[in-house]
Amino acid sequence: MEERIRSQSEPRGVSSALLLETHGLTRHFGGLAAVNRVDLRVAEGEIVGLIGPNGAGKTTCFNLLSGFIRPTAGTIRFHGEDISRLRPHQVVKRGLVRTFQLTTLFQELTGLENVLLGLHLHSRRSLGRALFSRRRFPPDEVARSREVLEFTGLASQADQLARNLPHGHQRVLGIAMALAARPRLLLLDEPVTGMNLDESGRVMALVKTIRDRGVTVLLVEHNMKAVMGTCERIVVLNFGQTLAEGSPAEVSTNAKVIEAYLGAGLAHARG
Amino acid sequence: MRRLRVGVLIVLVLLMLLVPQLGGDYYVHVFALVFTNVILAASLRPSLTCGQLNIGHSAFMSVGAYASALLAKNLAVSFEVSMLCGALLAAVVGLVIGYPSLRLRGVYFAMVTVAFVEVIRLIAQLWVPLTRGMSGLSGIPKPNLLGVTLVTKASQYYLALFLMLLTLLILWKLESSRLGLIWKSIGMADNLAQSLGVNIANHKLLAFLLGCFFAGVAGAFYAHFIRFLFPPEFGFLMATNILVYNYVGGRGHFAGPIVGAAFLSLLSEPFRGSAYETIFFSIAMLLTILFLPGGLITLPGKLAELRGWKSASAHSPSPAA
Ligand SMILES: Nc1ncnc2c1ncn2[C@@H]1O[C@H](COP(=O)(O)OP(=O)(O)OP(=O)(O)O)[C@@H](O)[C@H]1O
Ligand SMILES: [Mg+2]
Repeated sequence: MEERIRSQSEPRGVSSALLLETHGLTRHFGGLAAVNRVDLRVAEGEIVGLIGPNGAGKTTCFNLLSGFIRPTAGTIRFHGEDISRLRPHQVVKRGLVRTFQLTTLFQELTGLENVLLGLHLHSRRSLGRALFSRRRFPPDEVARSREVLEFTGLASQADQLARNLPHGHQRVLGIAMALAARPRLLLLDEPVTGMNLDESGRVMALVKTIRDRGVTVLLVEHNMKAVMGTCERIVVLNFGQTLAEGSPAEVSTNAKVIEAYLGAGLAHARG
Repeated sequence: MRRLRVGVLIVLVLLMLLVPQLGGDYYVHVFALVFTNVILAASLRPSLTCGQLNIGHSAFMSVGAYASALLAKNLAVSFEVSMLCGALLAAVVGLVIGYPSLRLRGVYFAMVTVAFVEVIRLIAQLWVPLTRGMSGLSGIPKPNLLGVTLVTKASQYYLALFLMLLTLLILWKLESSRLGLIWKSIGMADNLAQSLGVNIANHKLLAFLLGCFFAGVAGAFYAHFIRFLFPPEFGFLMATNILVYNYVGGRGHFAGPIVGAAFLSLLSEPFRGSAYETIFFSIAMLLTILFLPGGLITLPGKLAELRGWKSASAHSPSPAA
């Protein structure tokens, strides 16, 4: 993590090299266009929010970007390279790492082991090493994992089983694992869901620190306070399509956006 | 605790070394077969850990057994070579079946492996010129190891013991390495593993092929030990037994399949080959699911818990609401 972070610590905002660019990104599920001709652009060093009512297609977008599902149409370019046909592990290799909306951890492993698995791509491994080395993990990998735990505030939880961690820490552990994979672009799917005010504040501060260390962030979140306070730019999805795009101030006063959210609210109220 | 475990292990190995001295040929025979079953059970574990339900392990044992037997019988190849060829062929066959079915999950993968057991059995049954089909393949030479024929049952027993210990050592080293952690992670949450850059297809394949290889080793030993191969022996029943060893022994620890295979094959020895064998294994599986879902290896912990609970309730007799 450190190398990439240091090498890219140039002032942000200045460099606006395009990191991620989708073109007409579309995904159908049967007759439903869950993501419909979305053009998404994320520049290096940004924190971009992807918001929208339930079912708008945000997670589907993430699944497309991370290679978990294939687009029905459209392309995804990451650092200029077309990655729309790659499989998940190949996407990660290029530096695009995602987290999951539903807490997804290796529940029966410790915090440290979870993060060690995050280092997967950056570890030296071979059958010979597995057979003849006396150590399970090289000390430098353990040290790096502890560093990541420290950075995310989980140092004291290193030896706890993931399933025994409180919900908030579980969510953060998910982020720590993604960080261990050394992302250039980090996709966070509802990182502060189910957290109290205090916890969500800390996580959003963490997100900013991550960006300040050179990682670009694209995040999905329903907690508007968190989104407005953290993101520099926001993209609003509704029924799979881009509804609006702009600064937090622009988006939150956009009539179409308000209507979409109110409409969703009314639909909820009606059951 | 670690010292204690190492001590127990050493005593166990010493005892196993003494079986030919203490017991007669009967025990030598029984234990050599137990060792084969241990190899089979332990070699299925990596695949199971990855979350693949392989109900076809006996097919790979069959491939190893026939290949090694035919090489030794027809071409007078020595045991170490024929065994290695048998194991490698089992792995190659595993590659042919495993590669296309890797994307299948759970029940679908299980169905492919079940079907495969039948395919291999039918090939062994129908390829009469080579395998003698349902007459069975007889006249398989005793294991000829490095130019020395192992004539006595006792020497063959030591060969089985050696092969088992070597297999377990290799599998243990792999399981306790990063590779083992990756297998576990795939079994726990394969989408998360993928999202961290793990090529789950390759790792599942490796785990599967490793199992095929060692099943081939077990088969090769079996062929030169029993010296008679009969296609239906390696059928669905044996395949499920290997799976049952893992579940009854326990999935949570490396020792699980070892304990399961040893325990069940010793207990089922009186019924071996009879109709009661199936009933015995079914009951063992049922009892485990009902009373010891973590398998036999969780028994000591359970007992300690029970004792602690009893002594605690003895100290504080007031019933809590
Ligand atoms: N695998 C799938 N098969 C069929 N339909 C799907 C699938 N995945 C998502 N959908 C549908 O696509 C639409 C978009 O879902 P998605 O999960 O992307 O929404 P979201 O914006 O992440 O919502 P939320 O805020 O509730 O997480 C929904 O109508 C959903 O039911
Ligand atoms: Mg979602």
